[in-house]
Amino acid sequence: MRLNEFQIAFKDLMLDHPNALNAPPSNLAEFCESGDIDLPTRLKVYRNNIVGSLTDLMVATFPLIKNLVGQEFLEGMARSFILAHPPQSGCLNLYGEGFGDFIEHFSPAASLPYLPDMARYELAMNAAYYARDCQPLLTNDLAAIAPDDLGDIVLKLRASAHLKQSRFLLTAIKAFCDNNGEGQLDLDQGGEKLMVYRPKLEVKSVILDEDEFACLSLLNDRQTLGNAVEQILIQYPAFDFQAFLQKHLALGTFQAFE
Amino acid sequence: MNDLAVKPAYSFAPPDDLLIDPVGIGLRYPHYQDVLDSDLNIGWIEVHPENYFGGGAPRHFLSKARNKYELSLHAVGLSLGSDQAVSEAHLAQFKELIDIYKPFNVSDHASWSVSGNAHLNDLLPLPYTQESLDKLARNVERTQNYFGRAILVENPSTYLAFKGNDMHEDVFMNRLAAMTGCGILLDLNNIYVQAHNHGFDAWRYIDTIESRYVGEMHLAGHVEQYAGDHTILVDTHSRPIKGDVWDLYAHAIAKIGVVPTLIEWDNDIPDLDVLVAEADKARAIIAAQSGNKEKGRHYAAE
Repeated sequence: MRLNEFQIAFKDLMLDHPNALNAPPSNLAEFCESGDIDLPTRLKVYRNNIVGSLTDLMVATFPLIKNLVGQEFLEGMARSFILAHPPQSGCLNLYGEGFGDFIEHFSPAASLPYLPDMARYELAMNAAYYARDCQPLLTNDLAAIAPDDLGDIVLKLRASAHLKQSRFLLTAIKAFCDNNGEGQLDLDQGGEKLMVYRPKLEVKSVILDEDEFACLSLLNDRQTLGNAVEQILIQYPAFDFQAFLQKHLALGTFQAFE
Repeated sequence: MNDLAVKPAYSFAPPDDLLIDPVGIGLRYPHYQDVLDSDLNIGWIEVHPENYFGGGAPRHFLSKARNKYELSLHAVGLSLGSDQAVSEAHLAQFKELIDIYKPFNVSDHASWSVSGNAHLNDLLPLPYTQESLDKLARNVERTQNYFGRAILVENPSTYLAFKGNDMHEDVFMNRLAAMTGCGILLDLNNIYVQAHNHGFDAWRYIDTIESRYVGEMHLAGHVEQYAGDHTILVDTHSRPIKGDVWDLYAHAIAKIGVVPTLIEWDNDIPDLDVLVAEADKARAIIAAQSGNKEKGRHYAAE
């Protein structure tokens, strides 16, 4: 067996149904030495290492989901996800991307409609934690621009900034989890719009108004400041641009302009 | 590829300015703050570079820890033993850390994780054939060329062996070092685990390894799992180092000399004191062996 052939057969077996380990394909079985300890036992050590370490990683990445559904249920979902979507990189910091979409189609979780968005929220917090540092844009940086040119600049959001919206109150569900399930949680209070980002070492969530979220989304799509504000004012005539800009300069939402 | 026909572009050599204390510990997330807050009796720290790729909050801790201690970057994600070439993106991220943190050693394993697009997140076993050796050597050379320095390659723990092996692992490691100029990172626990799982003599393995290639040693704990009438040892990095592995370490430094030695603990991580106590134990073994001064290559005995 050539190295390539062996590695493909081994990988396919590791990502197959657990029972497949009891009857490994004959070409692989013939290639391996077994000795005193049978081949399925030996293969299971690898299977447990691979799936176990990735499951542990996902439990660490999704503490809120763990709080909401319990560790066992999360581990079950994670194992199914891992076999269907193994990592594609040797850097696992962002592993779990797509878990929200996966949960949406995971039938045992169908009765928990807020779970996919909670997973997406936790992924945004995880990505913000690992995002590259950058210097925030300051009021003085903008003061250097002639007022007439302000409309032509493209304000770039911080590398850690993620805009999220949900028909559920994600921050309220998070607070409920952080409080160990104490207090009341009403899931029918409507949704919210958020910015998740990391201004310094800690990841923060900022609840956004409709017009604010819409404006940041346009800027995030690399619209010029002038274009973005023009479009927002059509949809939200009461939009207060000065207040918006001041608030987000103070928060450190932006990193640079072009 | 002929083993010794071409002189490798890089050749592993111990650093000129020797570490004062050869024993280091793995720095893991739960200990970040403790390591920054206390002055530990350790010579250096080790981290997995993959945990610091891309930037982010973890680098703040690493930068502060690096200000206090020398550093070894020990990778788990290059997949040097894959049939396919090592990932350029992975090399680029890794190189960025080398440039920033200036580690005294850079290493990964004689194993594979990647097949096609899937990264299986474990150190998977290689058949010890000429084909594996040639392909592993090519990836080691690609890595060394990219980094502009020699790396160390570690002998893995394995739970599976192959009928078609052309050579034993100790010989495989020696040949890899001869072909590529890489150093050998000798993991004593991995040798012990494999000696049990595959039925060979761990002491003879160490005697076969050529001393001049060895640039670092690792020590860790393992667990015993029952499999019918037999047991299989699993390298979990979750327990204290076993007595037999300490004996093997004493033999290795008597035979090879003192090289930077790491205490590894990655699962069920205990208080930092426990790791520091293991480091003290390693230092005591080094001191007990220091009668053998002419063999202490990298460190003068105290």
